[in-house]
Amino acid sequence: MSIRMFLMAGAVALAAIPALGVSSVGAEEITLRIWSLDKPEQPAWNLAREFDDKEPNIKVEYRLIQFDDVVSEAMRAYSTGQAPDIIAIDNPEHALFASRGAFLDLTDRIAKSSVIRKENYFPGPLNSVTWKDKLYGVPKATNTIALYYNADMFRAKGLDPDKPPQTWDELLSAARKLNDPASNVYGLAFSAKASEEGTFQFLPWVQMAGGSYRHINSEGAVKALTVWKTLMDEKLASPDSLTRGQWDSTGTFNSGNAAMAISGPWELNRMSSEAKFDWRVTLLPVPQPGAERSSAMGDFNWAIFSSTKHPAEAFRALEYFASQDDKMFAKYGQLPARSDITLPATGDARKDAALKVFQEQLTFAQARGPHPQWSKISKAIQDAIQAALTGQMSPKDALDQAQKKIDAVLG
Amino acid sequence: MKPLRKFAQSLTDGRGFDILLVAVPLAFLLALSGLPLVYNVLMSFQEVDMFSLGSVVRPFVGFANYTALFEQPETWPIFANTAIFVSASIAGQFLIGFGLALFFWVNFPGASWLRGLFLVSWVMPGLVVGAIWNWMLSGDFGVINFLLRESGIISGNIFWRSDPAYALWAVILANIWLGTSFNMILLSVGLSAIPADLYEAAELDGANLWQRFYTITLPMMRSSIGAVVSLGLIFTLQQFDLFAAITSGGPNNASNVAQYWAWDLSFKQYDFARGATISVIMILFVMLASVVYVRSTRQEVRG
Repeated sequence: MSIRMFLMAGAVALAAIPALGVSSVGAEEITLRIWSLDKPEQPAWNLAREFDDKEPNIKVEYRLIQFDDVVSEAMRAYSTGQAPDIIAIDNPEHALFASRGAFLDLTDRIAKSSVIRKENYFPGPLNSVTWKDKLYGVPKATNTIALYYNADMFRAKGLDPDKPPQTWDELLSAARKLNDPASNVYGLAFSAKASEEGTFQFLPWVQMAGGSYRHINSEGAVKALTVWKTLMDEKLASPDSLTRGQWDSTGTFNSGNAAMAISGPWELNRMSSEAKFDWRVTLLPVPQPGAERSSAMGDFNWAIFSSTKHPAEAFRALEYFASQDDKMFAKYGQLPARSDITLPATGDARKDAALKVFQEQLTFAQARGPHPQWSKISKAIQDAIQAALTGQMSPKDALDQAQKKIDAVLG
Repeated sequence: MKPLRKFAQSLTDGRGFDILLVAVPLAFLLALSGLPLVYNVLMSFQEVDMFSLGSVVRPFVGFANYTALFEQPETWPIFANTAIFVSASIAGQFLIGFGLALFFWVNFPGASWLRGLFLVSWVMPGLVVGAIWNWMLSGDFGVINFLLRESGIISGNIFWRSDPAYALWAVILANIWLGTSFNMILLSVGLSAIPADLYEAAELDGANLWQRFYTITLPMMRSSIGAVVSLGLIFTLQQFDLFAAITSGGPNNASNVAQYWAWDLSFKQYDFARGATISVIMILFVMLASVVYVRSTRQEVRG
């Protein structure tokens, strides 16, 4: 092919592109663009397809985004006018978008909806979609953390597996009894990683002791961090807890190298198949008997971008997604963020018992924030945890420093 | 019409063609490296948040990002870590790489095969290397602790990733492994370019092994060494995967370095301006280093 021919071919190809574009506009259907991190075996991927099939006049374009890219992709898209209609966003990031008007205010639509009812949702997830008393989204799913324990090890060390630790002191003393370095068993597995996971695991302790992210250097918070430091100093938990996420930490519990583990319901399927012992779940221990309960609240929310041209259809999609919440656990193993749905029995007694505990723990779950600059607040908390646990600062000094950073953010 | 034809003619034979040859790569460089660089510098003088990401015109804040950066308590330790990481990585990669290159230069049977196999480490993606080192360096079940313990070098486990005293060195160790083979290959090429008769003559004159190395090999290798070290500087300064896979910069920033921090600030805390500020400071360092490199190889005579 001569160069001229080649250029001609190129020009023809270029001219064909707009022609193709025009031909597809003819039909009367509208297109909804949905972004989520769900893979084919997870809810959003399937719900999007089902909605596409159900609505003849709506075409759904689903885009899978990796976890690490969700926020930066969404920011870039929104600031350049390319935002999708619907996005699934991690709950601590929700306020960042809602506070800047990037998400559509759904308060009135939800008030009129017969499918999405405010009162059906757990308070934690609902709080995460709320900004200044307005609803900017719908919780997609939820999770929380509780205490897993190895009942066989409890029996072997003379502890009663029907009376798992209820308070921090009991947790420490149980961990001391269960700790067995000679046979490579740590008392407890948890994650103090310098990432959102560390904040996720630590904040419930602060909240149970009467603190919050706004008062991170409160007496209770210092006590919480001191308990964590005791766990590390006495080697009741692996020093690698500092750099290991929850999934890897709980892996050591499943393999019998930790007697207890703090983690969430996402472990249930893996634990059912991997853990060859009598494992159980109990509520997160509290500072002293009768203290207020709390736990972490994880997972994603649905939101509609305020730039959408089809708000009514987008909301109809969210209504359809919410209408399928009752099948979410059976089909995809994720927990709906709703208190009005009873989870169907799985037939696995351990799993069913664990789910009951998680359902109860969920009623105490608290959203992180909501605050538009959550990532900075979280970073200050992570730094404090790590500084204290590595012995570079005392828990009090570390949390005082975190408080200073957080005050600067809160203004 | 005439000047146009003249121009067209000069394209096929003459100076126009030379200019074209220079202009195309220059335009390419400007568009793909120059613009982002300028944009990055610009961003470090602006107030940037996620919603102004799409526009170029943003509030100008002068040096506020720079002063704020140096008021953070972690800034100097992180820059110190970066310096340690770069110098220790380059030193390790170079010394082991040079040692291996000299070893294979002896040309025993199978030397070229073995040398080729060493390149495997360079072919592996950084994240894979990081994940594997992450397991090997694990405190409780890592193979490195196992070997050290069994050979009696340590009595208790070392928590490579989680002990602030070791975390940075854990990443350096992985990085030396990753970069050694590249150093070896480049240095091998340099060694094979040294004429053998130089050594023959020196041997006849009675120079011993050390004298031959010091007076022939090293001076003849000067440009290769310069290239390897400056490339090493670039590669270690952009080493990111290993940090992400092994320590995530922790614990408590003990293994955090400028390049990882810049990413963390930009894409984890969404503080794009401060991330850009760190990048600008890194660029200054690289420029400084390249000036040293250019000066050190200037008096060289090239055929």
